[in-house]
Amino acid sequence: MNKRLLIANRSEIAIRIIRSAHKLGLTAVVLMSDKEPDALYLQYADEIIEAKDAYNDKPIFLDAEKIVQLAIENNIDMIHPGYGFLSENPDFAALCETNGLNFIGPSPELILNMGIKTIAKKMAIEAGLPLLPGSKGAVADAQQAIEIAKEIGYPVLLKASAGGGGRGMRIVEKADTMERNFKSAFDEAVTAFGNGDLFIEKYLVNPKHLEFQILGDKFGNVIQLGERECSLQRKHQKLMEEAPSASITPEKRAEMGEMAVKFAKSIGYFSVGTIEYILDEDGTYYFMEMNTRIQVEHPVTEMVTGIDLVDWQIRIAMGEKLTIKQSDVKTAGWAIECRVNTEDPQNRFSPQTGFIEKIRFPQNANVRIETGVHNGSVVTPYFDSMIAKIIVQGATRQDAIDKTLEALNDFSLVGLKTTVPFCKAVLQDPEFVSGRYTTSWVTRIFKPEMLEHPDDELIGALAATIIYATEYLQIASDAPASRNESLNVWVLNKRINK
Amino acid sequence: MGTSYVYKRDASRLFIAMRENGKRYKIYLPKESKPVIDNVEQDINFIEQSDFQYLFEWKGKRYNCELVSRDQNKSTVKVNGVEYKFSLESLFSYVRHGMIDKDGKQIDENNILSPMPGKIVDIFLAEGDLVNEGEPILSLEAMKMQNEITAGCNGVIGKIHVVAGQTVMKDDLLVEVTSIDV
Repeated sequence: MNKRLLIANRSEIAIRIIRSAHKLGLTAVVLMSDKEPDALYLQYADEIIEAKDAYNDKPIFLDAEKIVQLAIENNIDMIHPGYGFLSENPDFAALCETNGLNFIGPSPELILNMGIKTIAKKMAIEAGLPLLPGSKGAVADAQQAIEIAKEIGYPVLLKASAGGGGRGMRIVEKADTMERNFKSAFDEAVTAFGNGDLFIEKYLVNPKHLEFQILGDKFGNVIQLGERECSLQRKHQKLMEEAPSASITPEKRAEMGEMAVKFAKSIGYFSVGTIEYILDEDGTYYFMEMNTRIQVEHPVTEMVTGIDLVDWQIRIAMGEKLTIKQSDVKTAGWAIECRVNTEDPQNRFSPQTGFIEKIRFPQNANVRIETGVHNGSVVTPYFDSMIAKIIVQGATRQDAIDKTLEALNDFSLVGLKTTVPFCKAVLQDPEFVSGRYTTSWVTRIFKPEMLEHPDDELIGALAATIIYATEYLQIASDAPASRNESLNVWVLNKRINK
Repeated sequence: MGTSYVYKRDASRLFIAMRENGKRYKIYLPKESKPVIDNVEQDINFIEQSDFQYLFEWKGKRYNCELVSRDQNKSTVKVNGVEYKFSLESLFSYVRHGMIDKDGKQIDENNILSPMPGKIVDIFLAEGDLVNEGEPILSLEAMKMQNEITAGCNGVIGKIHVVAGQTVMKDDLLVEVTSIDV
């Protein structure tokens, strides 16, 4: 009998995992949330489990106990957590394990250790990775923070040990404001995470975000599949990613990759994983953290390496040995991913919910589409705003930029606004094109006017005029003495010939 | 004669679309040809239309338009995912609001005065017609020669002060023309 894989996730990543499950001859089972009973991913699954989560405070994808219970009832062998939700929750991984379910990811201990930043950093230091100058562990009080800041130099960043998503985080520019910031970060961390431990590190004003993809098996084999650059972010949320990065030399790439492998080996890592680095303007790099899940942006790595990451993630969980050696890993060309979020870039990226009346994706051999929606889908306020990803490969970086722009021009969505016009603006910005862009691009460079295009404006003026004229001329022709004539043969023909 | 002109008499088909930032488009929707935008006929194809949605093709690209909101003469249109807001005026309300010629003086400059003494032979246009720059408005006979008097700008014909057969003196006001060249 086929092994049964339960996907504890939704949208595009659920569909992506179903694809890999089918490739491996597994039965793909998904969870149906009452919050989106008509979701596209349900159509791709072999079996659907109704979660009946309508009256729960949290959607099924966050309910570890319920997922495990449903998995047992439905004779599930393995659980893939996708990204987000419970993907990096060590308790969920442990709960799967104790109930005889194969959690597709690293061990609960690895997830736990990498999730607590102070522990992860300690392990990174032991493996010899460079870290941002800062405190060794939690800081006792504001006074100690001032002393450390004096050593490493301002600005510094106060960060909650248990933190994430920007909460419990403060940039401190000078000693005078340390006391106030320390207190508010501490209070916020206690409220958000029940743990007020703060650590302190040097704050880089204009950094780049690079990450290395790791692939390891349960026999101690670890390889790295090169880097992705994810510097294009808004409020720590990535919007576009590329592989490889234009910001490092081949020597530095090799060094950072070796460091990543060394670290993963030192902690006995297995499954897919990501080592995140922060790169300063002078090219110095520092270890930031390790992610223990499959990442949203994994397709850019798949495109340039030709290696199927989700396929390997599942096979490794099933106990397979890695058959790819480091020397087998070759990258070809350049790949760019654009996240299609239902957010309004003209209006501070405010989330858009509602119907997708019509959606049209670019179709081309060099374009890969991962989508969780189709015509008629509903975007609800219950889940995040990413509805699809458009990933494009080119021979060189410039070729990839050109082809991505071409692909985005072929994208259209009627009903909601998306980040696609934003991505188009990025692809035409000189700083992005040069590769010099950093994580502060959105705050430094982006202006909503960059989304506009003279040709679009002219067509908009024409459309607005046709709408107005239809009514205006209608009123005119309704007048008793007036001839009853058509608006325009140009417009009318199209209506009749439709 | 006259077929090469973009403006085809009917001034009720000329509209002004103005953005909040002041940018203006003068859009003419002729009855039997393609739209004229800022005096230039554009090779824009109208591919399809459904409720509040329009698909155009221009310069080999597709343009998806969606009417987002509408309030009196203000419309917000989404083109390729980006919103543009326009306020719309017919040519007449535009002229009435005195927006064509900000200083008000220019109106006089475009009026047609008789260049010489003579007799009006024929008047080709009527009050309210659109006229193209260089298009004949009337024919004036002087010294046994017929002269065509042409418009000095793209505009709309205002009051016509003469009739065919009438004798006029030099510098008599013949036809008022309001420029639509902004």
